[in-house]
Amino acid sequence: MTFSALPQRITFLHRLCLAFMLALGLSTAVQAKQTVDPNAAPNEFVQAVGNNALEVLRQEPAAQQGDLNRINQLVDEYVLPYVNLEKTTRLAAGRYWRQASAQQQKNLVEAFKGTLVRTYSGALSKVDEVSALQILPFRGDANADDVVVRSTISQRNGPAVGVDYRLEKTPQGWKIYDLNVEGIWLIQNYRNQFAQQINQNGIDGLIDALNKQNR
Amino acid sequence: MAPDTQTAENKQIMNKNTTKSETSGRLGRLAPVVALTAFFAGCAHVPNPTPQDPWESYNRSMFQFNEAFDKALFKPIASGYKQLTPEPARNCIHNIFANMADLWASVNSFLQGRGHDGVNMLGRVLFNSTMGLGGCIDVASMNGSQRISNDFGVTLGVWGFKPGPYVVLPFIGSSNVRDAAGIGTMFAAGASSYTPIMAIDNVPLRNTILGVAAVDLRASLLDADDLVDRIALDRYSFIRDAFIQRRQSLVQGNRVDPDSPYGTLPDYSDDELPDYSDDEEAPAAPASGSAPATP
Repeated sequence: MTFSALPQRITFLHRLCLAFMLALGLSTAVQAKQTVDPNAAPNEFVQAVGNNALEVLRQEPAAQQGDLNRINQLVDEYVLPYVNLEKTTRLAAGRYWRQASAQQQKNLVEAFKGTLVRTYSGALSKVDEVSALQILPFRGDANADDVVVRSTISQRNGPAVGVDYRLEKTPQGWKIYDLNVEGIWLIQNYRNQFAQQINQNGIDGLIDALNKQNR
Repeated sequence: MAPDTQTAENKQIMNKNTTKSETSGRLGRLAPVVALTAFFAGCAHVPNPTPQDPWESYNRSMFQFNEAFDKALFKPIASGYKQLTPEPARNCIHNIFANMADLWASVNSFLQGRGHDGVNMLGRVLFNSTMGLGGCIDVASMNGSQRISNDFGVTLGVWGFKPGPYVVLPFIGSSNVRDAAGIGTMFAAGASSYTPIMAIDNVPLRNTILGVAAVDLRASLLDADDLVDRIALDRYSFIRDAFIQRRQSLVQGNRVDPDSPYGTLPDYSDDELPDYSDDEEAPAAPASGSAPATP
């Protein structure tokens, strides 16, 4: 009787899954090792970061066998340098950010980093199933400081997954700060969880909760 | 406390009925479900009320119930299925059901006036049904065709119905008033992605196929499940917010409408502006049933 209703839940959770698995993938498909130029056009920047991360993972036997610790290291090395963790964390914390002391802000970024790395790693542990990263044509103002790069990640089995990256132009070039998988923005999805923790246990409580998960 | 919460629930439904006549029919259909399940709603405290989730207290209770039920029954079955069935066979079964869902998605694209999507999805179904051996092999995806998910809840959204409060349905999980109404309507009308299965006259065969469909669905979610465990601070909030975002993006069709990629970007700007009101109100807001019911 309830089966007629199941597809909704499915589509949603299934997407969510693929999403994070592939997306972060940010990266994902790859031809050859490229130099990443943060001052290049946003599309090319994302393509280069993605291709490199994927390439590295494919060459690592440990990563191929799903060794999460090793994948964490690789993500840390090949993806995070191009991600503005501070901005991601600041926006996820919203107005509570200003209530935090400088030390708390620093600790919060460090604690949230673990969550982000785990997200990417969970994703990349399936990298073998991913066959290609296709960057879609850039739309919008190419001279803007805040842009979105859209891509699809195709897999060996099943339909392509849509992934968008939100980038900001910094003095050091482009930095990724938000990610959308099939309609779900990463920062947006953590805002309520952050607020909830802060309301209950304060900013230190949130940092503790994140660190507890990191262990 | 359970009866209190229950009457609060019902009161909210009554309010909705009188203030929004357009939603009354849908809520009427939902009412028995809510009334029945409000039983599970304890006097949970809601420390951080969210505007889209005024029934959070009830929802969390139902979420717990679903999780417990899933852990005891659905998940073990799905895990066993995954271990015992060879991957190619599992993929084939999954693709066949997905192909049926694609047909239904195509119908909904047409209902929404998104004819281009509808034609694309119909082409996908025809290709997979023939060259893909009845949907067993997703040849369309291999040839670059993208899946555009759709269902009747999205169609209602495109037609202008607001999602209404988030609600966790028994066994089914995340939904909202509009989507639950969509499910109810489709069930009453007998039209869904499972229509081809429901048309089978042989009842034991039909039920077996429905059972396999359910197991396949659950099995396809096992990885997502683990991932959410690893990255969510609060599983309930994580799933709720992802659901709300996902449904909204489906209605907006932001991956479909090539002209407005920026119109659908989330606005994080309250980071830049002082917001004094919430700071005061959040701790003072009354708990559970009396939370404001503005969708």
